[in-house]
Amino acid sequence: RTILCFRILSCIKLCHPVLHTDLICSSGTCCQIRMHPIPQPKQVDRWNEKRSMFGVYDNIGILGDFKAHPKDLITAPCWLKGFRGNELQRLSRKKKMVGDRMTTLDKHNLEKRIRFLYRRFNRTGKHR
Amino acid sequence: LFFSPQFASSFSSETALPPNLRLPSNLVDPDRLKRPPPPEDSSLPLIRKCDAALPAHLSPVRTWVDTLESKDSEPLGLTELHPDVFAVTPRLDILHAVETWQRNYKRISHANTKVRSEVRGGGRKPWKQKGSGRARHGSIRSFPPLKLNCGVSHGPRGPNSYYYMLPMKVRVQGLKVALSSKMAQQYLHVVDSLNIPTPDSQYLLELIRNRHWGESVLLVDVSQEFPENILQATANLKTVNLIPAIGLNVHSMLKHEAVILTLDTVRFLEEKLLWHDERYTFLYPFKLPYSDFP
Repeated sequence: RTILCFRILSCIKLCHPVLHTDLICSSGTCCQIRMHPIPQPKQVDRWNEKRSMFGVYDNIGILGDFKAHPKDLITAPCWLKGFRGNELQRLSRKKKMVGDRMTTLDKHNLEKRIRFLYRRFNRTGKHR
Repeated sequence: LFFSPQFASSFSSETALPPNLRLPSNLVDPDRLKRPPPPEDSSLPLIRKCDAALPAHLSPVRTWVDTLESKDSEPLGLTELHPDVFAVTPRLDILHAVETWQRNYKRISHANTKVRSEVRGGGRKPWKQKGSGRARHGSIRSFPPLKLNCGVSHGPRGPNSYYYMLPMKVRVQGLKVALSSKMAQQYLHVVDSLNIPTPDSQYLLELIRNRHWGESVLLVDVSQEFPENILQATANLKTVNLIPAIGLNVHSMLKHEAVILTLDTVRFLEEKLLWHDERYTFLYPFKLPYSDFP
């Protein structure tokens, strides 16, 4: 016979409350078995505004007289709009476009990373 | 949908399909297929003929033209659709390519981890190189299990973009293939205009249910200004959506079951999509002015 018993508050006081999502049941012997209940499947609305209007205006170039390009639709940091590259290319583009607006710490880290990647790509390994 | 598992025995008949290839029988709504495409000798008037010149070996596709004025009304007439836009060979690979392009070219992943140089602290050598008996380390931020908050050397780095462009003709062909597939499966309907008598959402829903168009409907019109009634009717509906013809794309056509075009939209689409069949390749981007192209 299984007896369900919930966690007993231990006499040791913890500095913060702990959330226990699992249950402990004991089958009569001294060993306690921990089990998690089966979680509820998450409810996803397949027809909300974003999902039903996804992809609209993607062909604005072909169907709209080429006045706009689909890359104008992308919401991204300005150095990534319509651009794809590896990390070194992305960071150097970021430094060119946004470098003078960055905080000192961020700029310092960016320059360190560029220096490291440049040396790594161009001086080590098989492809240099 | 629940099918009882049937184990294919070695003595099964030759016509029995294996369970992973068996299609459920309720995929296609039989009421929708009750109305066959218009016959050759139909009495209804031919409202619109193809503007572009048809090649000699192809014949235009004919469809009914409906109205949205009343719930159950007979079709107004027939239209002819250009076969090079609405009856192309169904290229599923092009559809897949265009759909993945639509998903990914806008994608920016902002996942970022700090490298050991960016994690706060960790400049000092924790213990001397030799003599302490422990493994040699240069900083507490180099790697676990030294300290939990260490830097990740090969993790995701910063906002990363997945932008790429498919060739223009591939995207155009994707649109044509999507339209032809909808036409072939009888999910495409042509309507004379999007004028509704009442701005009531229930009217639209009952109209769609009466005509067995499907669960989700995409209404496409040429101009950016739509009639007030249809704007109000579709405002609160989730599965019935209204877009201008410039916003037509493969993902929306695949997401919605039925696609409703107006006669003006059909003319606009044919004009835009057929131009790419006979054009010269560009020397400079099309957005810059050309002498013979508007």
